[in-house]
Amino acid sequence: MTAYIIRRLLFLIFVLFGVSVLIFGLLMTFSPERRAAVYVTTPQQAKDIPKLVKQYGLNDPVPIQYARWVKEVASGNLGWSLVAARPVAKAFWSYFPTTLELNLLASPLVIIVGIWLGTLAGVHRDTWIDHGTRIGAIVGWSLPTFLFALVLLMIFYGYYGLFPPGIISSDTSLWVINNPDKFTRYTGMYTIDGILNGHLWVTWDALNHLVLPVLTQVIVVVALLMRVMRSGMLEELSRDYVITAKAKGADAHTINIKHARKNALIPVITVAGQLVALSMEGSIAVEVVFSRQGMGWWLAHSATQLDMPVLMSVCMFIGVVFVLSNLIIDIMYAYIDPRIQLQ
Amino acid sequence: MRKLVMLLLAFSLLLAACGEKPEMKKKAEKTPATETKTAAQVGSNDKFILESYGTLRTLDPACGYDSVSHMRIMNIYEPLIFFDGSATDKFIPVLATEVPSLENGGISDGGKTYTFKIRKGVKFHKGGELTAEDVAYSIKRHMVVDQEGGPMWMMLEALVGVPSTRKDGKIREGVFEKIDKAVEVKGDEVVMHLPKPFPPFLAVLAYSYGGIIMDKEWCVENGCWDGTVENAAKYNNPAFGSEPLHKIENGTAPYYMLKWEPSVEFIFERFDDYWGPKPAIKTGIVRYNQEWSSRKLALQNGDADRVLVDPQYLAEVENMPGVTIHPVPQLSVTGAIFCQKINPEANPNIGSGKLDGKGIPVDFFSDIHVRKAFLHAFDRKTYAKDVWNDQVVMPTSPNAKGLPYYKQVPVYEFDLEKAAEEMKQAFGGQIWEKGFKMVITHNTGNDQREAAAHMLAENIMSLNPKFNIEVRNMDWKDYVVAYRKYQFPMFIIGWGADFPDPDNFMFTFMSSDGVYGKFSAYKNEEVDRLCKEGRFEVDPAKRKDIYERLQDIWYEDAVGCMVYQKVDHFTYRDNVKGFVPHPMLDHEWESLKLLSK
Repeated sequence: MTAYIIRRLLFLIFVLFGVSVLIFGLLMTFSPERRAAVYVTTPQQAKDIPKLVKQYGLNDPVPIQYARWVKEVASGNLGWSLVAARPVAKAFWSYFPTTLELNLLASPLVIIVGIWLGTLAGVHRDTWIDHGTRIGAIVGWSLPTFLFALVLLMIFYGYYGLFPPGIISSDTSLWVINNPDKFTRYTGMYTIDGILNGHLWVTWDALNHLVLPVLTQVIVVVALLMRVMRSGMLEELSRDYVITAKAKGADAHTINIKHARKNALIPVITVAGQLVALSMEGSIAVEVVFSRQGMGWWLAHSATQLDMPVLMSVCMFIGVVFVLSNLIIDIMYAYIDPRIQLQ
Repeated sequence: MRKLVMLLLAFSLLLAACGEKPEMKKKAEKTPATETKTAAQVGSNDKFILESYGTLRTLDPACGYDSVSHMRIMNIYEPLIFFDGSATDKFIPVLATEVPSLENGGISDGGKTYTFKIRKGVKFHKGGELTAEDVAYSIKRHMVVDQEGGPMWMMLEALVGVPSTRKDGKIREGVFEKIDKAVEVKGDEVVMHLPKPFPPFLAVLAYSYGGIIMDKEWCVENGCWDGTVENAAKYNNPAFGSEPLHKIENGTAPYYMLKWEPSVEFIFERFDDYWGPKPAIKTGIVRYNQEWSSRKLALQNGDADRVLVDPQYLAEVENMPGVTIHPVPQLSVTGAIFCQKINPEANPNIGSGKLDGKGIPVDFFSDIHVRKAFLHAFDRKTYAKDVWNDQVVMPTSPNAKGLPYYKQVPVYEFDLEKAAEEMKQAFGGQIWEKGFKMVITHNTGNDQREAAAHMLAENIMSLNPKFNIEVRNMDWKDYVVAYRKYQFPMFIIGWGADFPDPDNFMFTFMSSDGVYGKFSAYKNEEVDRLCKEGRFEVDPAKRKDIYERLQDIWYEDAVGCMVYQKVDHFTYRDNVKGFVPHPMLDHEWESLKLLSK
């Protein structure tokens, strides 16, 4: 097992190298002037584009530019984010907690609700419960996230004045700034920092701003997990051991929950793991509509503005998250299903 | 599973219970024993919230060259003088005690020497006191820094006579000595020496692009230029983000920066030791909110005192109860510029590159009949009505309405018959006979420019079935690169004032050295001569003649098609008072010290 983990971690180096070469190569397909134009916001500044190309060495051969980037990264400098107006590393630690905070609440809900609904649909196959959850899943999955988010925003915030967008209210934000001795930003997540600092009203305020984003995220993402769970349940419920259990007089709850659902969870773990890993990139639509500046917002803006240091760093981060999440899923397999051996 | 559900339920109940805590918190913190500033104490009448989506690039006054940076900097720092109300040519003293003029002797030596008397008793946010030495240092430091792509070309042009401290990537010899000599301290006065008279100089100083005053001692302590000529080169042209004053400040204005969380919020707090009248607003918050629906709801619910409204959303707030809208015409014009010498290299915008019906030749727009035909095909009235709901100024030349020497010059009225007549005469009738094919490109996301492109294309195509124009869009970053490579037969682009003077517009659009003049390959020796003379002429009567003549030439030569002059709509909750419109200050602008609720 240990050798397997070490081997997979070593493999990470090659993955990161591959990802960096790929992204760097793609970005190099843009002309040096185009990349220099990133520094330009007004027509007035456009006259300086050739000078910027020279200053930042954007016309140098690609391997030299790549080597320069690797050297900087090796020395701990991930570059300057024009979108975030600060170093990439600093910006990362500002945006990542916002995304993590949303996912820490949304992901468990997605998994719990997905498994529950999938089980329900599988057990009650071809009944109104099954049809209802399937239709709900199709609607949730096919509805554009931004549209769904906007509808929720209009109803709750626009009509009832509930669950405002943003990360935290201005009053709370001001209180936090004016009371550095009473409130420490340990994690960058107001929900958790509120608890750690003993100011639960801050946590409450942050949660108030999280209700709609979490609801959107859960409804949109839960559909996939639910369908996988349902398929797994149907497959397991048709197996011989279920018939044997029934013949032995086991009750429906024992068969469905203790036997079938446990076995149906294996493919769900794969999907859930991938979903959780994917959610670390942040949901662009949710973050933009609810004005939460997280990883999705940052990545989307960086992509449209060709903020190279951000694109490189975030893609590498995503690479790490996916390799590690796959590794964790593989290890979990071995524990859940003793038939699987890691080699 | 059941345990987990119970746990979640318990947690929810706990949080629900916490929801009742704010009242307790307020009670606890209202006690005089604690000096805590609570959220509850920030009353709504002294707090102002603006929701916008502009990204702040820097707080360094030497490097900020966009309206977002300008707004933050101008609420934190102060210049020597500022615009008087909505005027562009009248000023009020700020850190100077009077505005230099010929009458008070502040302007002397034929407009080449400006003397500023420096105000006493002014404190910086970190405690220092303003001196004449601080003023001289600040002006020099801005020019020494001269970041690539930054705004210092204006101050350098005025005080040193060159647009940059560098040439071909190297420091100009003796440039720092010239900067040093250009500004000197005489007791409580600061004297600035110009190599040539530069009439817009006061307007340049009134903006954040060169006129901001800082504390020398604090600047040096924080890694800025040490004030010596020998070391100046080390502080020249810092990379983006590495400028020492990027995220810190120490101004003299009535507000200091309480917090800047990039792309989330920027908070101003009132400075109690301000030398001037105490402003009504104590806390100013600029919240980043890119999503229009969310901004609109914040305005509607009263969670924001002002939100940024783009033109396409104006109709959604016009009848919103409790909202006041101030339309402010900007010194910012947009025009469709004809390129008279298109680059044929790998250029998809000109088809075959020949006059064969499948493309256009590289000198297509060098024929004045083609240009006039396009001008006759632009329906200004319909455009203003359909695209802007008549909430726009339609300019007749690049000299925007509101600038000195503005003149309503004739326009080529919308007339498709006249357009057809002009086309028949172009290239000896060959264009009419063979037809042509070309592309008009606008920058992605700009609906107003897209509408202008489509209007021109459709009207021209209606003249002759052999005329074929395709409208495409391109990302702004690609757009600015492409027009500078002469790739567009016509580029639709805007220009906002760096300083409120016709030189900033007429030179840009018409001179063969101006940005748009150059890349449209328009060359007229009279125009070049007049642009040069106008820049340095101090006699207002002579300047008037020069700029009026240039506006006439714009019409006579049919240089380009002016599309619109931007009107920004400042949208407030109606309990907010004190807004003063200014054509130089766009919708990112807010002067907190003038507001009250």
